[in-house]
Amino acid sequence: MKLSSRYNQVNILTSLVVLIITGVIYYVVIHFILTEKLDKDLAVEENEINQYVKTYQKLPLPASYIDQQVHYKDAGNNNEPREFSYTTYYNAKEQEVEPGRSLITTVNLNGKKYIVTITKSRVESEDLVRIILFITLGITCFLLISLILINRFVLNRLWKPFYTLLNQMKTYEVSRMGKINREPTKIDEFNELNDSAIAMAARVQQDYKELKSFTDNASHEMMTPLAVINSKLDSLLQTESFTKQQGALLEDIYQGVGRLSRLNQSLLLLAKIENNLIPDLQDIDMKELLESKIRQFQELFEKDELQLIKQLDACQLKMSRYLADILMNNLFSNAVRHNHTGGTIEIILQKNSLQLINTGKDVGLNDQLFERFSKSAPSEGLGLGLAISKQICALYGFTIAYAYHNEKHSFTIHF
Amino acid sequence: MKILIIEDEQALLDSILTYFTEEGNVCEYATNYRTASEKIALYSYDCILLDLGLPDGEGLNLLGELKSLKKKDGVLIISARHSLDDKLAGLDLGADDYLVKPFHLSELKARVSAIVRRKNFDGNNVIVFNEINVDVFAMQTTVNGQLVTLTRKEFDLLVYFLSNKGKVVTKNAMAEHLWGDEMDIANDFDFIYTHIKNLRKKLMEAGGKDYLHSVYGIGYKFGAA
Repeated sequence: MKLSSRYNQVNILTSLVVLIITGVIYYVVIHFILTEKLDKDLAVEENEINQYVKTYQKLPLPASYIDQQVHYKDAGNNNEPREFSYTTYYNAKEQEVEPGRSLITTVNLNGKKYIVTITKSRVESEDLVRIILFITLGITCFLLISLILINRFVLNRLWKPFYTLLNQMKTYEVSRMGKINREPTKIDEFNELNDSAIAMAARVQQDYKELKSFTDNASHEMMTPLAVINSKLDSLLQTESFTKQQGALLEDIYQGVGRLSRLNQSLLLLAKIENNLIPDLQDIDMKELLESKIRQFQELFEKDELQLIKQLDACQLKMSRYLADILMNNLFSNAVRHNHTGGTIEIILQKNSLQLINTGKDVGLNDQLFERFSKSAPSEGLGLGLAISKQICALYGFTIAYAYHNEKHSFTIHF
Repeated sequence: MKILIIEDEQALLDSILTYFTEEGNVCEYATNYRTASEKIALYSYDCILLDLGLPDGEGLNLLGELKSLKKKDGVLIISARHSLDDKLAGLDLGADDYLVKPFHLSELKARVSAIVRRKNFDGNNVIVFNEINVDVFAMQTTVNGQLVTLTRKEFDLLVYFLSNKGKVVTKNAMAEHLWGDEMDIANDFDFIYTHIKNLRKKLMEAGGKDYLHSVYGIGYKFGAA
């Protein structure tokens, strides 16, 4: 639930409850006040009748005034208490029954008791109450509507900088060195949020850069000592007075150094792809590239007696030739390295996908195979080939997927 | 040939100097930008090995100096920077080749020899070793004047060996030279063996002597016994 709609809900609910309660109180109070006033009028009338009786020693005529009726009744020995009550009032002029208010009281005339009933129409006060009620209701509705409208339009506009910023943060990618833009607003909180987001992005970027340059520098710095080791080994080899055993030791050292430098280069390459430092975009004829790769790997295929099945359709891609080369090398080397003697390799190139299917030693692999340094135990590779391949694919928006069907491993790249 | 090695890493410099010093070669060195700049101005070299990261300057600037001096020295950049930009910048500024550290000394030698051949013979690229005659440009090999048909890889191997004659060349170095280090087929040198066997057979069938010797199982040496 959005903050604004939640706020809206609470706001409107509270307003509604408060307005209803106020309305009820209003109604009751006004009703009470008006009844009080009527009662006062009735008391005044009673007083007048009493005065009249005292002065003239007779009952005034049961005259029918407008809005007011007076009746007399012989009370006999009954002693009626004085009381106000709600009754009806017959309006002769309008010929209809209206709500009324009566005062029943007694007067003494020459030692005889009369019950006097004074009735006044309540219609005017009822009308007043009704008008007041309608006005209150009207104001309530008006208030609610304006609240909803304010929430809908004003609040939405008010929150707009927030959502714009949020979207920016969602799409923010530190590796792309993106920037968070300032969203102009007069709201202090949003300005503060904006500043914090910008500062955070800058800080993250700085940390990221430092980390990257550390990897980069570390790898570079390692290259020189590796070069020294390699050259010293080459020099040592020229001195030529080794036994077979020492030769084997040297060979192992060579392997280790070679592996280390390849590892280093692969890490550097990964860092470079991640930082998008290999622009060099050009049109690549994939069919041509694959054919040249097949030629290049021909000897490897032959050595392991691998049967090659190829189906190459025309396919043009826009990417770095260097990376395309590495991608194909990785996939081809994997297909050969993890194959068994006499196996098959299928290469299927279509307009927007490339599929390499090979028979293999291992059973199905899990999805971790694209992670760095993930490799099957007997593998001689570095465990970086597929991680690099995935990075290259990600760089150009391709997807690479692995599947295992009928004891065959397949890698599919969708361009 | 006369070579200038500009490299600040003393240990690496020593190795290169030792590897390159042989009859007919004069090797000089500089360990910083200033010395290198002086030497370039004073003398001419067949090939300059240039390390980009020097303690007192950017190696690439030396290429500019060479150009302004109108010198035709061959330049091979050796750098720890495996960056396409640096490579392109170096080649644009007039370097002849770019080799990334770490490298095999045999590969370095082969590249330097190739540069020197290109600079010196201008199209007439013939390497002569006793009865073996290799025209690098036309890709033709003759033994005792008799044409020997070699495959592309055998030919490359032969040129590589001739550039490193008398040296032990490791299988590792050969594999990287023939297939490139990006192919990642390390630890699998059986094919090197096949190519060498074939090359040796073809040379000997044409009447050449047996110059190829296996050394400790690590590599091969090309030379008269």
